[in-house]
Amino acid sequence: MNSLVQIDGTQGEGGGQILRSALSLAAITGRPLQVDRVRGGRRKSGLMRQHLTCLRAVARLCDGKVQGDELRSPQFSFQPGTIRGGDYHFDVGSAGAVALVLQTVLPVLLHADAPSTVRITGGTHVSFSPSVTSLRDSFVPVLQRMGAKVDLKLERYGFNPAGGGSILATIAPGALEPLELVERGPLTSAQVGVVQCSVPKNVARREADVLCHALNLNPERARIETVESQGPGNALWVTLLHGEHTTVFDAVGMKGRRAEQVAKTLVRRMQRWQHSGTPVDEYLADQLLLPMALASGGAFRTPPLSQHSRTNMDVIGRFLDVGFEVLEESERAARVDVRAA
Amino acid sequence: MPCTVIGLYGTVMDQGGKRRWDRWRPTLSIFQHPDRIVDHLELLVEPRWLRRSQELVNDIRSVSPETQVTVIPTPMENPWDFAQVYGALLDYARTRPQEDDEELLVHITTGTHVAQICLFLLVESNFLRGRLLQTGPPRRGSDGPLWDEIDLDLSRYDALARRFAEEHAAANQVLKQGIQTRSPDFNRMIEELEQVSALSTEPILLTGPSGAGKSALAKQITALKRRRGQLAGPLVQVNCATLLGDKAMAALFGHSKGAFTGATERQGLLRAADKGVLFLDEIGELGLDEQAMLLRAIEAKRFLPLGADVEVESDFQLIAGTNVDLRQAVSSGRFRGDLLARIDMWHFELPGLAERRQDIEPNLNFELQKFAQELGRQVAFNKNAKARFLRFALDPASPWTGNFRDLNAAVLRMATLAPGGRIGEDQVNAEIGRLQRRWGGSIPADPVAQVLGETPIDRFDRAQLNEVITACREHPTAAAAGRALFAHSRTQRATQNDGDRLRKYLAKWGLDFAGLNQASKSR
Repeated sequence: MNSLVQIDGTQGEGGGQILRSALSLAAITGRPLQVDRVRGGRRKSGLMRQHLTCLRAVARLCDGKVQGDELRSPQFSFQPGTIRGGDYHFDVGSAGAVALVLQTVLPVLLHADAPSTVRITGGTHVSFSPSVTSLRDSFVPVLQRMGAKVDLKLERYGFNPAGGGSILATIAPGALEPLELVERGPLTSAQVGVVQCSVPKNVARREADVLCHALNLNPERARIETVESQGPGNALWVTLLHGEHTTVFDAVGMKGRRAEQVAKTLVRRMQRWQHSGTPVDEYLADQLLLPMALASGGAFRTPPLSQHSRTNMDVIGRFLDVGFEVLEESERAARVDVRAA
Repeated sequence: MPCTVIGLYGTVMDQGGKRRWDRWRPTLSIFQHPDRIVDHLELLVEPRWLRRSQELVNDIRSVSPETQVTVIPTPMENPWDFAQVYGALLDYARTRPQEDDEELLVHITTGTHVAQICLFLLVESNFLRGRLLQTGPPRRGSDGPLWDEIDLDLSRYDALARRFAEEHAAANQVLKQGIQTRSPDFNRMIEELEQVSALSTEPILLTGPSGAGKSALAKQITALKRRRGQLAGPLVQVNCATLLGDKAMAALFGHSKGAFTGATERQGLLRAADKGVLFLDEIGELGLDEQAMLLRAIEAKRFLPLGADVEVESDFQLIAGTNVDLRQAVSSGRFRGDLLARIDMWHFELPGLAERRQDIEPNLNFELQKFAQELGRQVAFNKNAKARFLRFALDPASPWTGNFRDLNAAVLRMATLAPGGRIGEDQVNAEIGRLQRRWGGSIPADPVAQVLGETPIDRFDRAQLNEVITACREHPTAAAAGRALFAHSRTQRATQNDGDRLRKYLAKWGLDFAGLNQASKSR
């Protein structure tokens, strides 16, 4: 079982997700990992700063040994050790996303010998990454339903480019249980939230108006908050509660993009999901693959799977004896069944 | 290898404030690259800005927790004061411990050019052993701010280095009139002269025997300066030996109208050379009064023409030529010491033609071409004729007392007399005779040729044999000649049979002492 896993960094979608999933799984299974042609498909190939942070973080959790952990390195190998619970602090530079580091270390610490706290500082609401809001309100509750003793607090917002946000996760070790998320329950609550720091005052209001209009909500009910942060920034989200399950759609405001544009893009994504009739949105689907594989079972329904998710399944399959059965139900929906092989 | 960046806190661009994250900040941008990690920043801050810079330090900690920031108070009160800025940075660079295993980057970016130049100098002079890191705001269409590492090893910039070399080579060629000279000493002198002429407007002193090419060189220096756009005025040249008595003063410095009976205004050579070059050949022949005036004219760039009430100005580059030893002239009181000190700032000694025989052939070809151009008809040597002339010209026995003047005259004569544009052996032999007569009785005809005729002989042996023949003619006996020839080595021998050693050497060439000694007496 402890045989080397070799991964070609150019396979499938070829991005950083391959590295993060592989690192978590190597630590959990104790199998040594070697990755060649790291991010080979990208214009700037090799390990970037944020990948190094993940690599070194996982190595610290399990006292692992790493070779090739240098910037722009096209290849690295990782020899995991024993996973230790404890109090950890990881700093992500250049407003890198704390969510990506949390996604990597969280499954690992579920397999530790003792409870842990993990503080991660950096960007909490930045582009090209899940927001901490969606992890806290959507992903973590699903993990809790799978039996994980996990809690996540957002301590301080961090936006691009200043960073400086902070989250605190508490994780107690324990096995994950299979969960089925196949039916979408009735909508019981819809909320709109916008946060801002040092951006023109009307930006948040305009974003909230677009979101409320799309949900037929009274604009007064939107929660608009001015927050403290290292630098300026703005984030917005919609939280939808269907039965027991919460779905979050979010976005970050960007300099040079109109507030209405940002909000409308979010709305279109939300509506696509609403029309699919499935309970799990496409981002959460990707996040659930690893925990469900660790639980050796489970099922969910979601809009058609992204290339990202398919690559992720391949990587998981290299470490764990699980099978993913994907049934394309229609153009809008797919069903994924996870089974022990 | 850990990476350290050294940089200045910019009081404008690095400044904080509410909208600081909307702007590009040079120092912060170093830490915003997803594929770069800087382990250590040494931030040089003028003490006045220590508090203000704290905001930047905090921001760096936020975007780059990997980086350790050290703030170094560096007094540079006036960022435009070169001496102050360079002094402060040099103090810092000197006292900074340099690690062998660190990658050092010195940050240059927008800001005062004074600081940029000082940092450049410190890297270039190796006080800071690193590379320059140039940052700039993101360019349109690029995905991040500029990061450019510059290695000051100029040899890496081949194209640049090649252009430098070509420029120097071209300048050398101007000075050499395009003649492919081979004498290493002469070529080295030309290289130095090329640099001096580019960088200096101080007087240049050219010494060397008459005919060594001083005026030709003065002309070429002028041409080179003109080519580089360093001259607006003409080349004015005069041989000081031709300036005699009262006329010398007026010719050089001019005179006003009515300075003496019948005098109309005259500009004078110094004023004619304004913004140009004044070449004073045989400067040693200048009178003492004229020397005093000239010194003032060089130092103050102004002087008083004869009979005038106001000084006039003239800014010229002086090139002086001489074939006498000016130092000796100073000690005998014929030349002013202060003037010599002033004009031999750059002193170049032109060797006579006899000291650079390698250059005879290229100069021969050059003169032939010049003749062809000037007279519009081609002239060339027969192969044998050229070999004969070169053998004669390169022979150490040919003294070339008139130097290039002799050579040029010889070429001109042979070319003029060449039937159908071909210089044959007859012309060469006749010319050799002319030259030998010109060089006079003091120069015996080639003694080796006298005793051996046309027997082929190496230059090495010819030189040795030449000395031996001379000694045999000067001494009454073989023993006396031998003592003179082996004066040093004989002291280290057990037996001193000098006469025998000499006789054995002569026998190798089929010669004997009596024959040589006799021949000289009969001459």
